Amino acid sequence: MRDLLKECLSEENGLVELRYHHKENRSFFAEKGRIESSALRKRSGVGVRVLHNGTWGFASTGEVSKASIQNAIRIAKQAATVSSSLRGEKISNLPPALFAKGDFIGKGIEDFRNRSVEEKLNLVLDVQNKALKSSASLQSVGCGYSEIYEEKAIVTTDGADSFFSMVRPEFRVNAVASDKGKLESGSHSIGVTGGWDCLFRDKKPEDISEEACKTAIDLLTSSLPDGGLTTVILSPSIVGLLVHEAIGHTVEADFVLAGSVAQGKIGTRVGSDLVSLADSGVSEYSEGAGGTIPVDDEGVIPQKTMIIQDGILKSYLHNRETAHKFNVAPTGSARAWEYSDVPLIRMRNTYLLPGNSSLEEMIAGTKNGYFLDGAKNGQADATGEFMFAVQKAYKIENGKITKLLKGATVSGLAFDVLQNVDMVSKEFKWDLGSGHCGKGQPAKVDAGGPYVRTKVQLGGN
Amino acid sequence: MDKAFIEKKLEEQKNHLESLVKKAKDNGISQVEIFSSYGYAEEVTLEKNDLNNCTATEENMFGIRVIENGSQGFLTTNHFPTLWESIQEARDLARSQTTPDSDLVLPDPQTLEKRANQYDESLDALGLEHLVEIAKTTLGWKKELFPKVNLDSGDMSLSKGFKLIVSSKGVNASELGAGISASVMGMAVDGSDVGSFDYDSASGNDYPYFAKKWERAFREFGEKCMGGLGAKAIPGFKGYILLPPEAVYSFFLGSFIGSLNGTSIRKGKSKMAGQLGKQVASSKLSIWEDPTISGYAGTTSFDREGQATHKQSILNQGVLDTYFYNTYEAKKAGLKASNGFATGGAQSLPGCGPRQLQIAPGDSNKDDFFKMKDKVLFVNRLSGTSDGPSGDFSGVIKGSHLLENGVKTPVKEVQVVGNVYEALNQIVSISKEGELLGESYWAPYMLLEGFTITGAS
Repeated sequence: MRDLLKECLSEENGLVELRYHHKENRSFFAEKGRIESSALRKRSGVGVRVLHNGTWGFASTGEVSKASIQNAIRIAKQAATVSSSLRGEKISNLPPALFAKGDFIGKGIEDFRNRSVEEKLNLVLDVQNKALKSSASLQSVGCGYSEIYEEKAIVTTDGADSFFSMVRPEFRVNAVASDKGKLESGSHSIGVTGGWDCLFRDKKPEDISEEACKTAIDLLTSSLPDGGLTTVILSPSIVGLLVHEAIGHTVEADFVLAGSVAQGKIGTRVGSDLVSLADSGVSEYSEGAGGTIPVDDEGVIPQKTMIIQDGILKSYLHNRETAHKFNVAPTGSARAWEYSDVPLIRMRNTYLLPGNSSLEEMIAGTKNGYFLDGAKNGQADATGEFMFAVQKAYKIENGKITKLLKGATVSGLAFDVLQNVDMVSKEFKWDLGSGHCGKGQPAKVDAGGPYVRTKVQLGGN
Repeated sequence: MDKAFIEKKLEEQKNHLESLVKKAKDNGISQVEIFSSYGYAEEVTLEKNDLNNCTATEENMFGIRVIENGSQGFLTTNHFPTLWESIQEARDLARSQTTPDSDLVLPDPQTLEKRANQYDESLDALGLEHLVEIAKTTLGWKKELFPKVNLDSGDMSLSKGFKLIVSSKGVNASELGAGISASVMGMAVDGSDVGSFDYDSASGNDYPYFAKKWERAFREFGEKCMGGLGAKAIPGFKGYILLPPEAVYSFFLGSFIGSLNGTSIRKGKSKMAGQLGKQVASSKLSIWEDPTISGYAGTTSFDREGQATHKQSILNQGVLDTYFYNTYEAKKAGLKASNGFATGGAQSLPGCGPRQLQIAPGDSNKDDFFKMKDKVLFVNRLSGTSDGPSGDFSGVIKGSHLLENGVKTPVKEVQVVGNVYEALNQIVSISKEGELLGESYWAPYMLLEGFTITGAS
């Protein structure tokens, strides 16, 4: 594929970026004792981006042939030509970046190929069948397995020349429990970059199912926590939501330039000195982080980017264009979900670095507060005000966990929350590897970290 | 690319899919359905108060469903030359399953009502250069009217194409469509004061109508962004919330509408199971589906399975009138056929849901809500979460205001907690005025009582 793309570029002047993308998404879902869906989604094509007359033009083609790709180049140039007069700040030629060259074959692909459809169907069917029998309170248990296999080749006129492949499996269980007309939900999911040995390394499918079912059942007898500003201990999945939603989005350079709260704050204190936060294309600390990429979608080798070091804001996340504007090196954060999508600045694997405390001493040292666990969803604003939802809130009284309460919404201002971090645990876990981040188009990301103690605004009674 | 080109492409593709279906039947695949979605789009995007990108994309997606002995395989592909191989692969997926269900069948064809033309040929005169002009005008409005508003992103797009379904049961339907749309997202920045981000959009299938709507939408967007400056934390209280149309539709009714999904009903995951014909909401609330309205984006004569769509009552003065069924869920419910609520496209199996909801207006004046003596929290937007089965929701309000004695104060760091199903009976008043959202669904303002509001001070 690289050779075909290079052939298409052989007569081109100026910056032309060709990105071949083939994606296969297989998904299997079982509920109520039967397979509810068995689906395969396949999509292939080439996205073409040109820097022409000081602005970007983009076109794509679902036909992977020299003639079609070159026609797309022509269309992209025409698009740039038509719109060039509108662009106030023209883009000059971008400086070279640390481009990826060669083939990068992901881990787990052989394992993924060797597992039959029947094996995957049996997995989801068996797990949900066993789960449904475990308690009369369970109204329904759904179990899903999905995997995304991708191939990409990225070749540019100024030096990128790479091919890579990867596979990302996910497994999830959703349970609904009922009692006297009351319904409650519980869910648990995992997602990695790699094979099944990585996917089920820490927990077996049955363990994931048990956790989701137990949550749904336990919530039947729970009530809302008291609302207001409170001390909380965040589990790694919630820390993942925090660093992703509250911090990560605000430091995406395109958002910074639009006026996010992180604008102009490089070099200033934004958190306590216990807070160090990074985003990386590599899976740090343990294998399999769901946002791992060997090459970004501009053909740049992804960097480990220290966003916050000891509480000081150090860097934004950049693509080639914003890096040039800020006079820094690209961080390898350009990502595109489909061949027909324009690359955007996105997170990869975002995490808080571990500290020196233990979870036990963090709980023992908390007189009054909550332990929050079970990430649901989250959003963030330009102001740095974030929201994320948790499944479970455990009350902490006099250094002990006393009871389970319903999960609620957690909110606050990003940097205020980081300033209030006073304990960070030694443990580390990637725990946001399933699902997607959304910013006009999806992106596979992961997030995580240690346990963290801080103060947040908790929604409740 | 014009209407004639797309019509020709549609005709050629219809012939090809018909021949593929025949080939499948000849080869023992008696139940096969192919759904095709073709689209061509041109788009100009804005970012950071400037042009970002200019794009032209074209794609045809095919969703292939094969049912064999009560088992189903589904495959989506954009690779036209290998459609026959894809049909075989979908059949293999079906054969690999071990939990057949005799209710899993393709539907029979139905007589379809004709709908108003969704492709206005005047759009064929527009192209990228016109989108550039719209973008230029938009940036001019920002500079002239809202200099403190930063446009984080925006897009102006022109799209046209068709949808086509052909099945071995004789279902054969197609429609062309074309539209122009624009959207914008951003926030106001005044020194160190960064307001909450907001967004707005407009669309239409003819340019003059769209142009008028877009100008209005952009002005409203700017006002909302500016209204977010100077936001203050407030103490918590229990009382009224006022929802504008967007919040009514996207948040308040979201879980309720989701609970009417035939799949959730069947699986016992819906609070609305067994509630047909019962009072489940305030008598002030009526909702219906109307896929017949000329010019609306969701107007269509057939659903994802090629079944006829028609106007239907969903909630009449708080009494539940219907659930949403596709063919499979209808059969599981003991019905002969679906009620035309199969959703989705080429990239997904048929789901269950509405496409063009209309919420009945009330008898109150919208402006009176903003003059109430009591404390009212105006919820411009809610950044939160909602759990379908339980109905519990909570979230942070965005770009919102505290209303009291006619005074409007921007607020921040405020959370709302409640339950959607209880809230259906907490409706105090509904406005006469409302908005057409997404060029498809109409919603009024709603005043609700009894909400727990958590403040930060």
